[in-house]
Amino acid sequence: MEITVNGDAVTLDGPLTIARLLVEQEVKMPDMVSVEHNGKILDRAEFDKQQVRPGDTVEFLYFMGGGA
Amino acid sequence: MQNDIPRHGLRPATVGVHGGYDDDPSTGATAVPIFQTASYAYGSTRDLADVFRGRAPGHVYSRISNPTTYALERRLAQMEGGVGAIATASGMGAITAVMTALLRAGDEIVSVRGIFGGTVSLFRNVLSRFNIRATLTAPDAASVSAAVTDATKVIFAETIANPVMDVPDLPALSEVARSHNIPLVVDATVTTPALARVKDFGADVIVHSTTKFINGHGTAIGGAIVDTGNYRWAEGRFEDLASLARKAGQMALLARLRNVVYRDLGACPAPQNSFLMLQGLETLSARMPIHCKNALRLAEFLASLPGVEWVNYPGLPTSPHKPVVDRLYGGIGGAILTFGLAGEADPARCMDSFVLARRMTNLGDAKTLVLHPASTIFAEYDRSERLNLGVTDDMIRVSLGIEDFEDIREDFEQAITQSTEN
Repeated sequence: MEITVNGDAVTLDGPLTIARLLVEQEVKMPDMVSVEHNGKILDRAEFDKQQVRPGDTVEFLYFMGGGA
Repeated sequence: MQNDIPRHGLRPATVGVHGGYDDDPSTGATAVPIFQTASYAYGSTRDLADVFRGRAPGHVYSRISNPTTYALERRLAQMEGGVGAIATASGMGAITAVMTALLRAGDEIVSVRGIFGGTVSLFRNVLSRFNIRATLTAPDAASVSAAVTDATKVIFAETIANPVMDVPDLPALSEVARSHNIPLVVDATVTTPALARVKDFGADVIVHSTTKFINGHGTAIGGAIVDTGNYRWAEGRFEDLASLARKAGQMALLARLRNVVYRDLGACPAPQNSFLMLQGLETLSARMPIHCKNALRLAEFLASLPGVEWVNYPGLPTSPHKPVVDRLYGGIGGAILTFGLAGEADPARCMDSFVLARRMTNLGDAKTLVLHPASTIFAEYDRSERLNLGVTDDMIRVSLGIEDFEDIREDFEQAITQSTEN
């Protein structure tokens, strides 16, 4: 199936959960990521349950920048 | 950096050993490496800019994050069942960062009384200068509720108030906080996740002095903030966090801390200290039962001595807090107690007579520690104010170590005998 991740088209075997998507996309520092799925920010408890389906949009957002 | 997702369902003792870190991918090292670095090089300007803009993860500067500290944050967050954590340079650094992130001029804190003198000083001598007022109340829900005003934005409690040993009914305080849509911030330093996950009692934000039982050996100063995920920042009374929650969701407070408040206050831990805290977490669940059992046994022993006027340990059946201790902490009253000598016996003479126990201002060391709060942590307050804070002149505070109890008992017996002899 095809979905959009951080603005890029991605082809995956699916459907799959957000938690699985984090692994398959090799998302680094998963504890630091906020996930927006089809425009909705997910609770972390939803990562294991929320299914990603063809055509969905997923954004990984991080809040750890800003150096010296 | 790890690609795994957090392990779910493991118990705190197991998470303390395995959580937050997988074997180092380049060497296989099972101990978390100490990343003794101030900053991090990137391959391109764009890569670094992506991290600054939040489009990619990464460490950019160790005041903001560091791989060793990150492992500590993950492990502690997993033990507490939280959505994330930030490690700080000290427990005071953790409380300061949380209060500064949540509050602005005109806001108020309602706190249970009898808490750590350093926290009282932060409220009275520092936050007050920014027109943030703190009201200290009795720890019961009715008193806390009565103290809440329209300006109250935080309810603050310690799991077992140090040094007065009150044990607030956290679920009841959480109900009060819920009814006003404000967060309950809980200092769980003296209980740690080894005794209880206070998230399950309704705590919204947890702060720790990791210097204490988490470190366990008195080798480093540190603190931590855990967001339990209980408070809905998107629907809360903090406009900036509600706005941030539209992008960060449950991570709103941690994002504001990491990207602004924690970053700008600068109270970050040294990587070496984070390593020591990680090691401490590995044995925390093994050590806490020994600390606590020694405390109960010493409390029982002191209560049997004619030279001792009073013993305050919430795990004793005679304590008014025992029902809450039974309900929340499985009957375990922690590892700290206070006592006073009978008659006119001089507490300093007793203090000076200890051979094994160390005269120190710390808690949660492997060693048994004794302190005279009135002349140390609370010395900056006059006597009437100290009494108001629950600190009597005769109070001796004991933090039980993990020594053989018989050696502790003999030390207390000889010290009390010497100080009560004419």
